[in-house]
Amino acid sequence: MMESCVTHAPSWSSQQMRGVSANQMPEMKSSQEVVIVIIINMSKRKVKDDHMPVGECITQVQSILRERFCHQKLPEKPQAVEAQHKHLLELLKRTAIHGESNSVLIVGPRGTGKTMLLKCVLRELLGDKEVQKNMLEVHLNGLLQTDDKIALKEITRQLHLENTVGDKVFGSFAENLSFLLEALKKGNRSSSRPVLFVLDEFDLFALHKNQTLLYNLFDVSQSAQAPIAVVGVTCRLDVLELLEKRVKSRFSHRQIHLVSSLTFTQYLERVRTQFSLPGSFPDAKFAQEWNASVKTLCEDKSVEEVLQRHFNSSKDFRSMHMLLMLCLSRVSVAKPTVNPSDLLEASRLCLSDAKADMLHGLSILELCLIIAMKHLNDVYEGEPFNLQMVHNEFKKFLQRKSNSMYNFEQPVVMKAFEHLQQLELIRPVDASSAKTQREYQLMRLMLDHSQIMEALQKYPQCPTDVKQWAMSAFG
Amino acid sequence: TPRHATPSIPSRTLAARQPTNVLEEARTRLHVSSVPESLPCREQEFQDIYSFVESKIIDGTGGCMYISGVPGTGKTATVHEVMRCLQHVADVDEIPPFNFVEINGMKMTDPHQAYVQILQKLTGQKATADHAAVLLEKRFSSPAPRQETTVLLVDELDLLWTRKQNVMYNLFDWPTRRHARLVVLTIANTMDLPERIMINRVASRLGLTRMSFQPYGFKQLQQIITSRLNKVKAFEEDALQLVSRKVAALSGDARRCLDICRRATEICEHSAPDPSATGLVGMSHVMEALDEMFSSPYITAIKCASVQEQLFLRAVIAEFRRLGLEEATFQQVFVQHQALCRVEGLGPVGVSEGRAACQRLGACRLLLLEPSRLGLLQRVRLNVSQDDVLYALKAD
Repeated sequence: MMESCVTHAPSWSSQQMRGVSANQMPEMKSSQEVVIVIIINMSKRKVKDDHMPVGECITQVQSILRERFCHQKLPEKPQAVEAQHKHLLELLKRTAIHGESNSVLIVGPRGTGKTMLLKCVLRELLGDKEVQKNMLEVHLNGLLQTDDKIALKEITRQLHLENTVGDKVFGSFAENLSFLLEALKKGNRSSSRPVLFVLDEFDLFALHKNQTLLYNLFDVSQSAQAPIAVVGVTCRLDVLELLEKRVKSRFSHRQIHLVSSLTFTQYLERVRTQFSLPGSFPDAKFAQEWNASVKTLCEDKSVEEVLQRHFNSSKDFRSMHMLLMLCLSRVSVAKPTVNPSDLLEASRLCLSDAKADMLHGLSILELCLIIAMKHLNDVYEGEPFNLQMVHNEFKKFLQRKSNSMYNFEQPVVMKAFEHLQQLELIRPVDASSAKTQREYQLMRLMLDHSQIMEALQKYPQCPTDVKQWAMSAFG
Repeated sequence: TPRHATPSIPSRTLAARQPTNVLEEARTRLHVSSVPESLPCREQEFQDIYSFVESKIIDGTGGCMYISGVPGTGKTATVHEVMRCLQHVADVDEIPPFNFVEINGMKMTDPHQAYVQILQKLTGQKATADHAAVLLEKRFSSPAPRQETTVLLVDELDLLWTRKQNVMYNLFDWPTRRHARLVVLTIANTMDLPERIMINRVASRLGLTRMSFQPYGFKQLQQIITSRLNKVKAFEEDALQLVSRKVAALSGDARRCLDICRRATEICEHSAPDPSATGLVGMSHVMEALDEMFSSPYITAIKCASVQEQLFLRAVIAEFRRLGLEEATFQQVFVQHQALCRVEGLGPVGVSEGRAACQRLGACRLLLLEPSRLGLLQRVRLNVSQDDVLYALKAD
């Protein structure tokens, strides 16, 4: 069971990195949920005695921390965004209670907690009984609702308007639109229920034809109709420039910017809190030990160095969660604590260069061709090359050596060249490849010198003469 | 059954709360949706449209009018007010009764839907677009005794453009029929729309009755806000003047002006030490609201970027300086990036790390990038001016 968790986890988190929140992909979650249910069942049996066996403690730790890292579990209170939180909460409250129509955009780079902020605000807002009874919610995602037609059906479905039967929406696109607009027009500020529209990936809605949906939503929010609040979530800073003039004029120009102004000490602190167990952990002694070990981990010099490197490269929380997740997956019954070496290993995995790893898997001939291409690039300053030139360069190398070990036939070289193309280590200059013969097609190398040299150093049993050839400045 | 459904939004269980203090009252009045009884600063335009439509109704003839102006200058509101007044006059039998039909180019999915909507609003019939066009053609071309004049308002006219322009042609051709008694008022943003997108026979039918709404000046904007507030004392004089001057200088969009005022009341409410004793909205609150709405987010975004991302931006500028161009491939920038890393005393940066930084900057549009499958050959451009980047990086 443990093993299955470990192997599945990275794929989920990568799904979420792409901005698809977990509740829109129920089938992705189900297997993890089954695992959690089993874990909970197991823990209930033994909850009477205070000290649980190490195995169960570890399962608990895994389930708690996994939920935190992979499922983006909402924290108790959003950190470092109090002002934005208050602004958004007040705004939505006014829509819910006073019936004031509003529109707002939440803008910030990926992984700065836009959706987290919004969800926290909604949780707090819906905690109010009065609001919960009155407010209607419509959630749209630019990746799912790829055109206005689908978006309209989704709105009608989520609002349970009268032209829906069950989950099916009747009528054509035009009828749906006029039906929805008519419905919103009939409403008024004081008597109809306010509707909250959440548009995730807002910038994709701006690519729809004529921006009809946005125009109509903003228009309703600026006219005396049913009260609505439009909340857009996007990572593009230039999102307002995507809007048409008349759409832009109707938008209220409220933007909530989220930027992570984290310092390194705050980052370290956050790593510690993210990795620590909560006070409600069933086995208090284990939790204490775990938290102490996490504390010593964060004070370790080498760990600090690694974290500094990650902090320098990006401040977003998803990459931090990724790192911690890789670290966590090395915890097992045999080794119930995290060591600095785990974190170092996880960081190595995170930072490893995919292209250089690919080079390790090549044959000697393919590697030789890559080196020949590198030399061609050096000599002709990045001009494109074809197979003939590469082969000639390779032949020059062979001539200088008495050893005829690498004397391959032309078709074999061609095969190797094609293999490189399939791996996209080289790329045709122009896409119209049908006209020219394969030997004469112009190509470019997609590797940096540093990648080639690094791969050569690490290549298992690389022949010395090949290495020397690569090092030499001129072919 | 869905066929005969009446569109509606469910009504709320608890009535909406009414405003309790001065600021909330002001906020309700300043909301764009609360259109006042009479529009200030548009008296001349009101008069022109009014007399045009009135004369057509009294004479029982038809005609077209084209109204243009940038968004937020009160075009639609003025026309609506004219129609309200005329309706009022018709109710007391001073002019013959008339129909008023309104369509909006943005509120339909396809230009041909215009026929469907007009027919439905005139007669309540539902029909397909082609059939509706035939029915309307018949209605407007055949003489009928005691037919009322129809006033048709076409908002966002430019959206009705089709390749053959037959929708626009029909809309402007019907009023020229003898028995049609149709007055078409069209609204769009650009002044030269008829010359730009219409073919000659359409433009000639539209005629030369045109009117353009100028953007509001600062005095007018100030007057609009004061008339909206209607003696609710929530703003200092100077604060109002600042808002109207700023907006007038930028766009002259009344919606923007009202939104900023509304935001300023919120800021005022938050900054007050206790909620009962909020003062007037002053200069500082308005300044903050203006900053929020007009400031560009790029500079803060650059300031808050991670170290590698900032280095990458510096590398981009360095490479642009070296090349003398405003465009470079990732590979060229990366060489500079590595050099900068060495200068800064950071560890060597890998290609994938550099590319990740580049992609992140591209995702929030500080950089403009080609598709990422081009790898190292991907070309990079700045989406912000170099001065902005340098300012943001230097400031700390």
